[in-house]
Amino acid sequence: MPTTTIKLHLLKIICLCLPCTQIHAAELNIYKSNESGLLTWSSKDNGFSIELIQLNPDFVRAVYSRHGLPPDEVERIAGYCVFGSIIQNTSQQQLSYRVSDWRYVDKNGKSYPVKTKAQWLEEWRNAGITFAWTLLPESGDFGIGDWQQGFTTIQIDRNKKFDFIYTWTLDGKKYQGKIENMSCAPASLSTDPATP
Amino acid sequence: MLTIPAHAAERQQPKLGYMLTAISNPTPAPDFTLEDMDAKKFSLKDYRGKVILLNFWATWCPPCRREIPSMERLNQNFKGKDFVVFAVNQMEDIDQVFTYTGGLEVYPTFTFLFDRDSNVSRAYGVQGLPTTYLIDKKGNIRFRAIGGREFDHPEVEKQILQLMQE
Repeated sequence: MPTTTIKLHLLKIICLCLPCTQIHAAELNIYKSNESGLLTWSSKDNGFSIELIQLNPDFVRAVYSRHGLPPDEVERIAGYCVFGSIIQNTSQQQLSYRVSDWRYVDKNGKSYPVKTKAQWLEEWRNAGITFAWTLLPESGDFGIGDWQQGFTTIQIDRNKKFDFIYTWTLDGKKYQGKIENMSCAPASLSTDPATP
Repeated sequence: MLTIPAHAAERQQPKLGYMLTAISNPTPAPDFTLEDMDAKKFSLKDYRGKVILLNFWATWCPPCRREIPSMERLNQNFKGKDFVVFAVNQMEDIDQVFTYTGGLEVYPTFTFLFDRDSNVSRAYGVQGLPTTYLIDKKGNIRFRAIGGREFDHPEVEKQILQLMQE
């Protein structure tokens, strides 16, 4: 096994469907790459799974340079805390999500919205960029077996930890998940390996 | 969809499923005309009377690459029948697709089309890659799949057969 697995169980998933508030046990796994030291958080609960993979800035630069973005735009997105994200409907029902409902919370308790693909595309359009892929779609209606990959971008100091809060709707009920103490990939893999 | 870095590839990607989502109110598939690798033009409307698997993809998209061999097996299984596969590449050029297909164990015999400005994917409301539609003989979108699939799974083939028999 090339990765180290740290298994945690969280009681952080709350059904937001009023008037009931349900507490569910989400299973959270954290994987650490033995090669790069980069971390992946993987959480599954109530028909929804999400995986967030640390991406180092050089990787982000390489992706967007390859897709022809101008250097200043490449640097701008590489300056964000970028995660590869894989989300999946693991239920037997319809599921939906909206990235605009997702948040991250810094250690001072201040909450910020996750930047959506639509926001990026608008900025890129203004810069004359037509490339529209790689970012996690801002919303989705998933049938059984549907899943999606894409970058999730968070604007936070690379050295600061944060909690990631995400929501989804399943069978008309809105659920919320929280992954605590997440961190960005280090600016350089060789000098500052990430630790869980 | 995105390119996944090496450390993520150490871990398993989601298993490719086979479920397609039935569209409750089938809508006409937007028509388009796109070129293939040889600059030959293909228009969707010319394929009325056939069931069409319309796949939106790119070479840098890992699940797209994973599902393409199953699309070829599906295409072979329905060879000579009223069925066609179009893999609509997003914003790449012939060299990129040719390099990718050249590395496959079995060279795909279905048609690759080039949607260089993503206008066609926009018309279909594609949010991420891969996304696949199954279009019936009358030109209506009947099934959709977001994310990679094993398209030669018996359940998918059964749905295609049902559409062919309508």
